[in-house]
Amino acid sequence: MKQSRKIALPRYAEYNCAMKYVVEQGFESKCILPPPLTKRTEELGAKNSPDFVCTPFKTTLGSMIEALEAGADTILMVYGICRLNYFAELQEQILRDLGYQFDFINLSQFNTGKKKDFLRAVKAINPNTNAAKLTKAFAETVRMVEHLDEITGKYYQVCGFDPTRESRLIYRKFLSDMYAAQTLADIEESYRTARRSLAGLPLQKPADPLRVGILGEFYTVMDAFSNLEVEQKLADMGVEVHRWMNVTNSMLRPGGKNHQIQIMERCEYSMGANSTTDIWQAQTFAQMGFDGLIHIKSASCTPETDIMPVLANLSQDYKIPILYLTYDSQTSDVGLMTRLEAYYDMIEIRKKAAV
Amino acid sequence: MTKENAFLGIDVGSISTKGVIINENNQILSSEYIWTEGSPISAVKRLVGLLEDQFDRGCYQIVGTGTTGSARRLAGVIVGATVVKNEITAHAIGTTTFYPDVRTILEIGGQDSKIILVENGVAVDYAMNTLCAAGTGAFLSSQARRLGIEVDEMGEYALRSGHPTPIAARCTVFAESDLVHKIQMGHPREDIIAGVCRAVASNYLNNVGKGKKITSPVVFQGGVSKNIGVVKAFEDLLHCPILVDENGHLMGAMGAAILAKRSVKRDVFDFSVENTEFVTREASCGRCSNNCEMICVYRNGQLIDSWGNRCERGAVSISKSIAG
Repeated sequence: MKQSRKIALPRYAEYNCAMKYVVEQGFESKCILPPPLTKRTEELGAKNSPDFVCTPFKTTLGSMIEALEAGADTILMVYGICRLNYFAELQEQILRDLGYQFDFINLSQFNTGKKKDFLRAVKAINPNTNAAKLTKAFAETVRMVEHLDEITGKYYQVCGFDPTRESRLIYRKFLSDMYAAQTLADIEESYRTARRSLAGLPLQKPADPLRVGILGEFYTVMDAFSNLEVEQKLADMGVEVHRWMNVTNSMLRPGGKNHQIQIMERCEYSMGANSTTDIWQAQTFAQMGFDGLIHIKSASCTPETDIMPVLANLSQDYKIPILYLTYDSQTSDVGLMTRLEAYYDMIEIRKKAAV
Repeated sequence: MTKENAFLGIDVGSISTKGVIINENNQILSSEYIWTEGSPISAVKRLVGLLEDQFDRGCYQIVGTGTTGSARRLAGVIVGATVVKNEITAHAIGTTTFYPDVRTILEIGGQDSKIILVENGVAVDYAMNTLCAAGTGAFLSSQARRLGIEVDEMGEYALRSGHPTPIAARCTVFAESDLVHKIQMGHPREDIIAGVCRAVASNYLNNVGKGKKITSPVVFQGGVSKNIGVVKAFEDLLHCPILVDENGHLMGAMGAAILAKRSVKRDVFDFSVENTEFVTREASCGRCSNNCEMICVYRNGQLIDSWGNRCERGAVSISKSIAG
């Protein structure tokens, strides 16, 4: 019999801990974590990708190469609701042309919604999968993702007002615990500790702090490396940063149809991918009286480009300034800092003037 | 006799370096505009020397210094600035001080362009070009060179044209090939230049100005506002008068000086930087595969500041480099 696989999924925000958990506990296989994303990852990806493809394609391809270098023999790739559906196929071909030897599991192939095809996907990962163990691990992974999203959200709302910078340590500890977790008890305990510690921090927070909502393209908006840590940078200026978009909200508790109904007046039909949800988020943040919105996308992302006129109208109706950020493989964050600082100054002066 | 307070503002852009000294009433005591020529450090030193020549040290003393522009951090370290501010805020502050009624600020510089919307003297929305420098001063300069004229003569040529040549404005690279094609077709030079000016204005409105409601009074500034051809093109496209201040190119520096005035931080500036040696060195961190490119600034051989590292690991290797 073939030895157990060494499976890797390209880096994606901090969700690789969940991937690791389900592979190890559910599929009883080995999980290889690709190294954290760096400039090298981006360069490797950009060098081997079509020039005009979006940055997430390049970044995930680079991460796959780094995973193979780290000893993975199987690459797992997900699918999505945009061109992401075709990523896996093209990335596999590029990696084969580069001469790598590996198994590739393209989950897009099994995406029919039929139980039969789901079982085929399970068998492809590990033919000896124990159904009971896998079901249990799936449920536990969902808990982990929910906790991860909750703590991440909390963290970016408090870390800008934490003079001791203790929150960073709490968040980092929580993340490393998630990567090390072996059982549900591990997950729950770290989660409770992190939640309690973050809630107990002595914060220096004004009664009415600046609140900014972050929205945009699925990969870049969530992955701190890809968006040049826009959330941390903003929080460090003293802003409460809110992001609705995460795996919990968009995949575990989806509300797509509902969102479309709520934005009917602005946009009657979906423009693909997360366009509907994005407009809904912008509208919700605006209605909650936020001081500003930041729209994030990678260059050449069509659905996110298409919603910009809708966002521009929304910005005028609610008198909420929107900063549009487009990301490509860049080397420096100087330009981003200029724009963020200016944006911060503007919403701060505006808020003071309104009082 | 006690000296009156004065404030220095320096705006170091990609193409030009601007400086002003103002008094408490925002009156200009000295001002200067020079080319950066790819060397912000020597430009700042030269600028400070030129400002000093116009400055009355008997009556005034500089107690606050602000820097802005893309080299604001470097300039700030060199002059020991009390305020270092991004150019968007500086422009907004500078312009709203002199034009309290302004509703729209158009700004086109050497390599970037921005639009700032103002309501009741407060900036409420802005946009800045991303990823690409299409339709900025750099484009005008290179086209002037191609046509064999000085960039500051372009405006006059453009005004003489009765029929501007249509030039594709979507992207600088396409605009350039379109331009070459039109030249070879035999379009008169005046019409070509007027077409280039129009291309800059419409490119700006289609990119940076997209989705922004442009309301009069409109103030146009930045180096490109000195080009009367582009001003005319904006007037034609927006159907409203465009205000260009004779000190429009100094607005960023003015904003920086005003911000230094408003700040509580005070530090006397004595022009001694002219004779101080500043050196920058590039270092590569090498502690992970990010290989952060760090810039270390030395004053008379001593490390005074560094930046560019994304995490604390880079900071450690700097202190080691001083020890070694």
